[in-house]
Amino acid sequence: MRKKKTSFFGQIGIHSVLFFGSLIMIVPFAWMVSTSFKLPEEVYLIPPRWIPNKPTLENYTDLFDAMNFGRPFMNTVIVALSITFLSVMLSSMAGYGFAKFKFRGREKLFLIVLGTLMVPGQITMIPVFLMLNQMSLVNTYEGLIFPPIANAFNIFFMRQFIKSLPDELIDAAKIDGANEGFIFFKIILPLTKPALAAITIFTFTGSWNSFLWPLIIAQDESMYTLPVAVSVLGGQYTERIALQMAGACIVIAPLIIVFLIAQKYFIKGIALTGLKG
Amino acid sequence: MNKKILLSVIVLLIFSVSIYSSTVKIWAMGEEAKQLGKIASVFEEQNPDITIDVQAIPWDNAYDKLLTGIAARRLPDIAQMGTTWMAGFGAMGVFEELTPYIEKSDIITEDHFFDASWQTVSLQDGIYGIPWYVDIRVMFYRTDLLKEAGYDKAPDNWEELYEISKKLAGRKGNYGISLMTNEVQQFFPFVWQNGGRILDDEGNITVDSPEFIEAIEYYARFFKEDISPKGGGGNIIQEFASGYTPIYFSGPWMVSLTRQQTPQIDGKWDVALMPKKESRTSFIGGSNWVLFKTSKNKEDAWKFIEFMSSHDTQLEWYNILASLPAVKSVWEEPALAEKPMISLFGEQLKDARAPLTIPEYEEIARAISRRLEEACYGVKTPEEAALAMKRDIEKILR
Amino acid sequence: MKTRFLSIILFIGPSITLMFIFLIIPIFFSFFLSLTNFGAFAMYDWSKASFIGFENFTELFKDELFWKALFNTFYCLIVALPVTVILALGSAIMLNREQTYFKNFFKVSYYLTFITNTVAIAIVWRWILNSQYGIMNYLLGLIGIEGPNWLGDPAWTMPSVIMLVVWRAIGYNMILFLAGLQNIPEYLYEVAELDGATRWQKFIHVTLPMLRPTMLFVTVMMIIGYLQLFQEPYMLTGGGPLNSTLSIVLYLYEQGFQYFNLGYASTIAVILFLIIMGMTLLRMRATKST
Repeated sequence: MRKKKTSFFGQIGIHSVLFFGSLIMIVPFAWMVSTSFKLPEEVYLIPPRWIPNKPTLENYTDLFDAMNFGRPFMNTVIVALSITFLSVMLSSMAGYGFAKFKFRGREKLFLIVLGTLMVPGQITMIPVFLMLNQMSLVNTYEGLIFPPIANAFNIFFMRQFIKSLPDELIDAAKIDGANEGFIFFKIILPLTKPALAAITIFTFTGSWNSFLWPLIIAQDESMYTLPVAVSVLGGQYTERIALQMAGACIVIAPLIIVFLIAQKYFIKGIALTGLKG
Repeated sequence: MNKKILLSVIVLLIFSVSIYSSTVKIWAMGEEAKQLGKIASVFEEQNPDITIDVQAIPWDNAYDKLLTGIAARRLPDIAQMGTTWMAGFGAMGVFEELTPYIEKSDIITEDHFFDASWQTVSLQDGIYGIPWYVDIRVMFYRTDLLKEAGYDKAPDNWEELYEISKKLAGRKGNYGISLMTNEVQQFFPFVWQNGGRILDDEGNITVDSPEFIEAIEYYARFFKEDISPKGGGGNIIQEFASGYTPIYFSGPWMVSLTRQQTPQIDGKWDVALMPKKESRTSFIGGSNWVLFKTSKNKEDAWKFIEFMSSHDTQLEWYNILASLPAVKSVWEEPALAEKPMISLFGEQLKDARAPLTIPEYEEIARAISRRLEEACYGVKTPEEAALAMKRDIEKILR
Repeated sequence: MKTRFLSIILFIGPSITLMFIFLIIPIFFSFFLSLTNFGAFAMYDWSKASFIGFENFTELFKDELFWKALFNTFYCLIVALPVTVILALGSAIMLNREQTYFKNFFKVSYYLTFITNTVAIAIVWRWILNSQYGIMNYLLGLIGIEGPNWLGDPAWTMPSVIMLVVWRAIGYNMILFLAGLQNIPEYLYEVAELDGATRWQKFIHVTLPMLRPTMLFVTVMMIIGYLQLFQEPYMLTGGGPLNSTLSIVLYLYEQGFQYFNLGYASTIAVILFLIIMGMTLLRMRATKST
């Protein structure tokens, strides 16, 4: 924080640049929302109308009635919540193990975990698809949920956080006769809340937005997630722009709400990842 | 106590129903899949012991998803199958040969359907599908804009199509016609109209024949001279209504969609036969029904296919989705025969062709569309594009 | 005190097992697949695929489309990376000033793009960039510029993709830089000021060197991310026209899950893996040597 005074014009300049940036970030969203409430005849007007003259909910009702968007919406909720819960749970357990357990080969095993961070998802995609196909798990929830659970980043993140907690806490509990399960759930977990919040949010966002894997693994519309469903909203005969915009809103809005509520954790979380990495 | 009894009765009921009723699983695509329920419920009423379960696949991903499902033998009982995919998937040996079923059938015979449709289900050694609906392309044009430009008829042949659309493209900020740089279904008719082919009867590749090259040249000229917009476009119906692109080629569904979505141009547009060179050949596509060998429920599945082929169902289906019946007799119904626009599609059906029926068709079509695009953008001359097509196809057929 | 074996199994076991099944074994499997002609015909009966040595690799190096995809991907990386760094760092510096107001508003609005679903927002951009009805060309028209056919002209498609990529990446990286900036001790600037350093000199001699760890993290993440470019071109242009936006992953997807040449697609995956590893190591070494 530099205390040097900036001139009045400097201040105006800097704020206008920042404000212009914000505008560029926000306008596409505004345009999306605006178009999603338009009737077809207003969509193609030039000059464009920012606020529809005759706002309509037709696109949204069409989305859920004619396009059955309820199904992919439910699928996405089920899949994203399951992945988040399982991944956060298992990663924090593993993170705890790697941080505080003492056993031979711990560091080597952890290095393997870290190594997988460098591996692009595409290289495992084809083999995992073939495996799931062999087990008849293509086009199932299991196929959507299990592969993304093992998350090296989450394990690494939790390990770093738990490592910074003092060993005395654990030792004292052990002297009192507590077992590992008790120590983990009653002592460690409550202390890791900020880290848990961060990885919960990241994992949820990541699995909500996940596209390539569901695109491959879903065979028919009954297993589509929102991003996949919205990607094929092109229309068989003719494009319906307003409908597509409504679809985009449905995919984007829940996350924006989560983000606005949990802003603090998001921004702290990213800052944490940057510093630790 | 009462609750327990009730519960067991319900369980028993569900159980017994599931014993006596069979489920026919169907893969269907796009809008068809969404509307199929309406027809299927009629079938279920007539056959209370059969349940129809439609699994919907969007057209965008249909080919890939069918390929995965078929390759992995994760199959339903029957499926909707694009006519151009019959040979490719047929070669994987998963379709049931239907001659024995057809012999026993009261409804389905060869001459129940249009010839061109029947050709798409007869592969080398048998009948592997039953036609459902056909899809044929004709010319849509704006009568008012053509009149303003000094023409009171639709372009009748290649020269007129070029001349008229060129003139229409002279209106500032607008184009004359809407074609796509990489869509073989739009391009093939021009090849056929000029007497060209992809393969000749002996199986030789003939994409470098003068007729084929001339078709590429003709098609690409619309893009080179900015008569047709190149990609990045939006809604064909809106662009037709605004006059941005006053001519385009498409199928029957566009008739009702145009009326619904752009009533402002009612009476200002019409449909016409394809432009003539040697012939007016158009592209015939559409969908068939196929029955899978792996089905455990072939009798019931066949019953549904028969139901879908009946005169009444075909008419009903036309009313629902405006897709053209593959059954000849339906065309005599007033709903079709007395509508000039629709009967024009019937007229065009007499001069229409399906593309190659060989397993490699899809790959060949991709190669052609890629090279065609290069010609349209002027990256390659028509001759170069044709030679590149030839090389690509040689590699595919090797 | 040694931890009980059972605890180790219970705590670490599930994650490690999943990781082996879904990450580690598949990597080796992928290398193996790249040496076979595995295709749709082998999906049902794996024994129909056969081992063909390095044929896929020689084929790939002769494949015009692969080189095109490689070129496009690096085009994106080489343009998008510096642009993102400059814009993100610039905004972070402006936001880090004590006298800047509405900090939270700026942070939130910049970050919004990153949590947004790429597929969904790409559809919105496709609409914005529509040559005829899009607001982009309308707005450009207001200031007297005739906008290009963004998604139809092969010269403009990649810039369109890059625009979307950068637009999404600025906020996230800005937050990272901001955290890095806040960790620079104030006295360093005070010392520099005593020496009479100008603003620019302070930036070059204090800010940049102190940001090195953040810069490393940011650029490595960006290299990994941009080399896996997929959703933006898939949704905006489908890789066209003239394959001008075909990226490596898009080509991999087409080969693998549209044509079902799984062996060939695995070869592309292996090459991509090697490129990413190579680039990442190169970037890390570059930091070490300075």
